Amino acid sequence: MTSAAPLLAIRGLRAAYGKIEALKGVDVEINAGEIVALIGANGAGKSTLMMTIFGKPRARAGQILFDGRDISSVPTHQIAHLRIAQSPEGRRIFPRMSVAENLQMGADVTDCTEAERESTRERVFALFPRLKERVMQRGGTLSGGEQQMLAIGRALMSRPRLLMLDEPSLGLAPLIARQIFDAIRTLNRQDGLTVLIVEQNANHALKLAHRGYVMVNGLITLAGTGAELLQRPEIRAAYLEGGRHA
Amino acid sequence: MTALSTETTQASRTAAIPFILKKAFLSACVALVLFSLMIGIRTEAGPDGQLTWWTRLGDLASIVGLVFGGSIVVELLRQWIGPTGAEKLVPAPVQRSLSLAGRFLGPALLVFTLLVPVIFYNQRYILDLAILVLTYVMLGWGLNVVVGLAGLLDLGYVAFYAVGAYSYALLATNFGWSFWVCLPLAGMLAAIWGAMLGFPVLRLRGDYLAIVTLAFGEIIRLVILNWQDLTGGPNGVSGIPRPSFFGIPLDNSDDGLAAKLGIEYSPTHRIVFLFYLILALALLTNWVTIRLRRLPIGRAWEALREDEVACRALGINTTTTKLTAFATGAMFGGFAGAFFATRQGFISPESFTFQESALVLAIVVLGGMGSQLGVALAALTMIGGFELFRGLETYRMLVFGMAMVLIMIWRPRGIIGHRAPTVYLTKAQAISSDLVKEGHG
Repeated sequence: MTSAAPLLAIRGLRAAYGKIEALKGVDVEINAGEIVALIGANGAGKSTLMMTIFGKPRARAGQILFDGRDISSVPTHQIAHLRIAQSPEGRRIFPRMSVAENLQMGADVTDCTEAERESTRERVFALFPRLKERVMQRGGTLSGGEQQMLAIGRALMSRPRLLMLDEPSLGLAPLIARQIFDAIRTLNRQDGLTVLIVEQNANHALKLAHRGYVMVNGLITLAGTGAELLQRPEIRAAYLEGGRHA
Repeated sequence: MTALSTETTQASRTAAIPFILKKAFLSACVALVLFSLMIGIRTEAGPDGQLTWWTRLGDLASIVGLVFGGSIVVELLRQWIGPTGAEKLVPAPVQRSLSLAGRFLGPALLVFTLLVPVIFYNQRYILDLAILVLTYVMLGWGLNVVVGLAGLLDLGYVAFYAVGAYSYALLATNFGWSFWVCLPLAGMLAAIWGAMLGFPVLRLRGDYLAIVTLAFGEIIRLVILNWQDLTGGPNGVSGIPRPSFFGIPLDNSDDGLAAKLGIEYSPTHRIVFLFYLILALALLTNWVTIRLRRLPIGRAWEALREDEVACRALGINTTTTKLTAFATGAMFGGFAGAFFATRQGFISPESFTFQESALVLAIVVLGGMGSQLGVALAALTMIGGFELFRGLETYRMLVFGMAMVLIMIWRPRGIIGHRAPTVYLTKAQAISSDLVKEGHG
């Protein structure tokens, strides 16, 4: 770990849907250049944490410091302008728009130049050559894996400093999931991209990540390097128990 | 792959015959039950007031037979021309020539439209009808921004048409302002009302949104109906000034355009002028829409239609995106309304009933949501076709309804369901996209 201030620091974060508290004081730190995995069972609050960073639902207490600035009260639509990008759960690509248009949507909010946009697009195509083959095809006609690639590609188009991925392996064949994880690793190593990855597939995610957090019932119960966490016997227990309590 | 698909088609076709017969039989049974009392038995008051009745089994049998046969025909058409089998049955060369024709259909239609006043100069009826069709083309294109692009189901579009019409009518009759001053004002006022409708419905989607917009349309009409002092209530506003040719009136006076040009005056001049006026307004709507679709705001509208959550994650401000869609659509509705007022010379709340909203919405849906050419074709079919079948008198609505059902069976995505992409990656394609853009005119 570096001694410099983390890129994203979450301190005592609480969030709720109505009366149901989904985050009960979460502390997470993500340093620049790291891949951080957040694992946990269904209903543990992983996706809520990601969405709270994006301001929906709003944080009830605590801080979300991005680059030292508290963003917990920044409107949702402005968070993307801070160059935090998100590939939401369930991919959520635009089905009737073409692959090229989907990618363009990711770049529209940023004020980067045409040349920068072009080079980012080339980078996305280099990572996911399948997208280049299908560039004029409608998003809805892609396979699940291709849609996931498109969702990540769309998020990358805004040239993010922090990329947040919600369950990128959801519903994908193991081979395709591996391709996605490989691409994330490549992005991190070659481009120095900081990644927060939320996964149920703990094994995969922890192998990929530098550090990991385990979440149970809206609280972080364990934290450590990816390799460390994989060794811990409690990890399995925490992972399974969380499911029962939720 | 091809062999497999033909095999499966054949298998499904043989399996389909009992299915079709069964379905037709069931339809005939329903018809028998339904019509046995309605048509099978005729009752009448006898000379002494007693009830006399007799059977009409022949008529009943023919109706039931018609339903049976009709059901088979509809099923066959659905299987053969329907969306699933369309690609396989139409031979490739025919398809290619069709797509070629499709590319030139837009420009050809535009050229024809430009020539309509020349060709039909002496046929006032056709000119009037063409103006009516173009008014609906414009309304359809305006609503297309809201419904087709942004995916916000608006059942109260006529409200903005009414706001535009009354804005011009009242400004012109009370202050004597000219059409060309009032036209942008009418558009702006309608846009403001569009944004005002937008605010309360920001959180609503789909059915809920449709109901609120429906209510909004009715509210506007009822306000116009009851605010007697301002709008004249059910009596409407009359004596609305005719438009001038940029200040030169189109009448028989010495200052009139005909006198200034030194040609003989004819009332048709005004009709032709109105025709080109609405054509220009409609083309403006089309041009603005096509331009906007290529800008981030237009893409945001379409993305909003597809997935609101993803839009927010990408940093799109969904509030302003929705409001601009409502306001832009409403503005074009307002322009069309101002035109309507100046053409009619008289407006009353009766012109702005829910039926108008429904008709414009039907044009957009039948045309293919988001397709500019499709909407134009649908307006031509709906309004023109409606006139075409005038001879059928009371059966006209029946034919009309059936045509709509058939179109939806054959082309569930509308007459032109194809959506033209807005982003091209290479320069060569970017040029061809410009050609396509003109094709939409």
